[in-house]
Amino acid sequence: MKTADKLKILADAAKYDASCSSSGSSRKAAPDGIGNAATSGICHSWAADGRCVSLLKILMSNECLYDCSYCLNRRSNTVQRATFTPEEVADLTINFYLRNYIEGLFLSSAVYASPDKTMADMVDVCRLLRNKHKFNGYIHLKVIPGAAKELVQQAGFLADRMSVNIELPSEASLQRLAPQKSRQGILTPMKQIGEDFTGFQLERKKSRNAPNFCPGGQTTQMIIGASAESDLQILNLTEKLYSKMSLKRVYYSAYIAVNDEPLLPALLTAPPLIREHRLYQADWLLRFYKYQSHEILSPAFPNLDERLDPKAAWALRNFDFFPIDINKASYEELLRIPGVGVTSARRIVTTRRIAAIREQDLKKIGLVLKRARFFMTINGKYLGDRSLSHHHLVSAMCKVEPPVAKKLLHGGRQLRLF
Amino acid sequence: MDSIIYLHDGSFEGLMHAVAAAVKSKEDVQGIYAEKEFSPRIFDTCIQIKTDSQQSLRLFEYLKKLKGNAARFAINGFLSEDLQVGIHLYWLVRQCLVYGAKATQLYTHDSIRHLDKLSQKVGSEAHRFTGLIRFRILEDGLQYGPFEPDCNVIGYCAQHFRERLKNQSWILHDIRRNHALYWDRDSLQSIDIDESFTSHVRQYGEIPESSLSEAERYYQKLWKSFHAAIANQERKNLNLQRQFLPQRYWKYLVEMR
Ligand code: SF4
Repeated sequence: MKTADKLKILADAAKYDASCSSSGSSRKAAPDGIGNAATSGICHSWAADGRCVSLLKILMSNECLYDCSYCLNRRSNTVQRATFTPEEVADLTINFYLRNYIEGLFLSSAVYASPDKTMADMVDVCRLLRNKHKFNGYIHLKVIPGAAKELVQQAGFLADRMSVNIELPSEASLQRLAPQKSRQGILTPMKQIGEDFTGFQLERKKSRNAPNFCPGGQTTQMIIGASAESDLQILNLTEKLYSKMSLKRVYYSAYIAVNDEPLLPALLTAPPLIREHRLYQADWLLRFYKYQSHEILSPAFPNLDERLDPKAAWALRNFDFFPIDINKASYEELLRIPGVGVTSARRIVTTRRIAAIREQDLKKIGLVLKRARFFMTINGKYLGDRSLSHHHLVSAMCKVEPPVAKKLLHGGRQLRLF
Repeated sequence: MDSIIYLHDGSFEGLMHAVAAAVKSKEDVQGIYAEKEFSPRIFDTCIQIKTDSQQSLRLFEYLKKLKGNAARFAINGFLSEDLQVGIHLYWLVRQCLVYGAKATQLYTHDSIRHLDKLSQKVGSEAHRFTGLIRFRILEDGLQYGPFEPDCNVIGYCAQHFRERLKNQSWILHDIRRNHALYWDRDSLQSIDIDESFTSHVRQYGEIPESSLSEAERYYQKLWKSFHAAIANQERKNLNLQRQFLPQRYWKYLVEMR
């Protein structure tokens, strides 16, 4: 089979992967090498689904031994199959990179032959790129669950970022939907990478010559909507993955019903895009706004409100915390106001140092007044409408949701028409 | 009363000198423009500045010493090619003289907020083009990257590629301003590109057939098919794509043509 045909099949097979970010690693250009890894992600293009294209995202192979029920490439499906040679992948990567099509390579694979053979071929790709082509750009490797410890470690010395997919939010779902994979097979390499990452980082503090291990850290991904877990369960798991496994990012991927399978949502069910979007927003609150998962959701309300940004939902539930005065509140308090982001909160704090903020300054600072006004006062003055009942306030906040969410809600409806 | 207008030669130094002179004059200055961008009205009193690099350097050094964003505002303001940038810089300097470096964070001041916006616009366009420039690799290995940015960001882009592709030789070519920079693995220099070559690129968004090697065609084709295959049909959203990647940037993008 020609490389071009393989590329079509194996790019197509990789497209259900959610993560595309190439940020977080920084690799200086070597004197005789090609490329570097930029700290802040660079998008090179946008695909027809509106997602950023930054990496050559392909599978090494889709000739899978396993039969995960949510996956298009499972053994029992009839699809076109292909497997790249390591040379082919390396050649594509370097040639795309030189032309500035991509930031680097994102290589994943179905399990062919055996987990070890698959992983070994993927490590080979990295070796060719790093040693033969002197490639210094970004490499993200998916770790094959069940691959030997040594292979995972070798991969870590070559890749910028690694990820082991957690796949589903609970062990029970994993057993049901991906019977050949085990929780253990996933968590063991995850732990190992985490330990090596911290270990070699410490070494490097002592000696400059210690090797760099997976400098961009590790991430994971889980499928949303293929199984019954609540958002609370998902966020709790996410929080643990950040704190216990020190993951850099957790990605969510709305399940696309590709297989006709009694265990799963019916074919043609629309992917839960809004839910995915809300989860990412909640994840954002965990990572950058110092929220905890139990603040965002509770056993009584275990699912995110699709109509509302989780931050607005929190503010509405904790309305007694407000209003907050813009000129007096601390940075952390400001961040809790819907419509105030990290940038505008920082601006408020710096501007205040020079002169108290006046009502007419608010828009200039960049806060979204139509959302913030219900939750703040400015020099004692409340800009919201005190006569609104809580119920009306909620619907007022739904109306002023940012455009992206509205578009998704709208797009979601369109999808369901099919 | 007459409006006082300062005019300069359109260079960065000219701009700096004019701003310095305007601030020093203690008059109520109404505008600072590049000569060729400005046609005076009846009641304008125009003061022509003959660029003295000593004068401009003095102001620029002052802004650099202030830390904060002042120097960046000046450079990016200039690169943004915003016609009004002179008067905004004038106000920036006046505010800095009162408040010091803090002034660059005075978002309630219209000029400073405007400069911040311009600066961000330039910064983000430069960043954007580090991803959007597409090199064509010629037979002899020389890489040629044509592009048409709104702001004058070729310098920033060159800085990025001299790190990333320092062992390759390449040319960045701003087709709009017809300005090309050539990196020969060692140093960066301005060069002139053949006129008929340039006009072909401008017209078709691609280098002439005669310069397109077999390999170049092959990888372009692969890239296009990769780009098409990676999109999720179930999530197709051309509006969103266009929102991130406005159509004015498509011309030189292999995958969008
Ligand atoms: S291991 Fe499972 S998820 Fe991965 S390719 Fe094979 S069937 Fe699909």
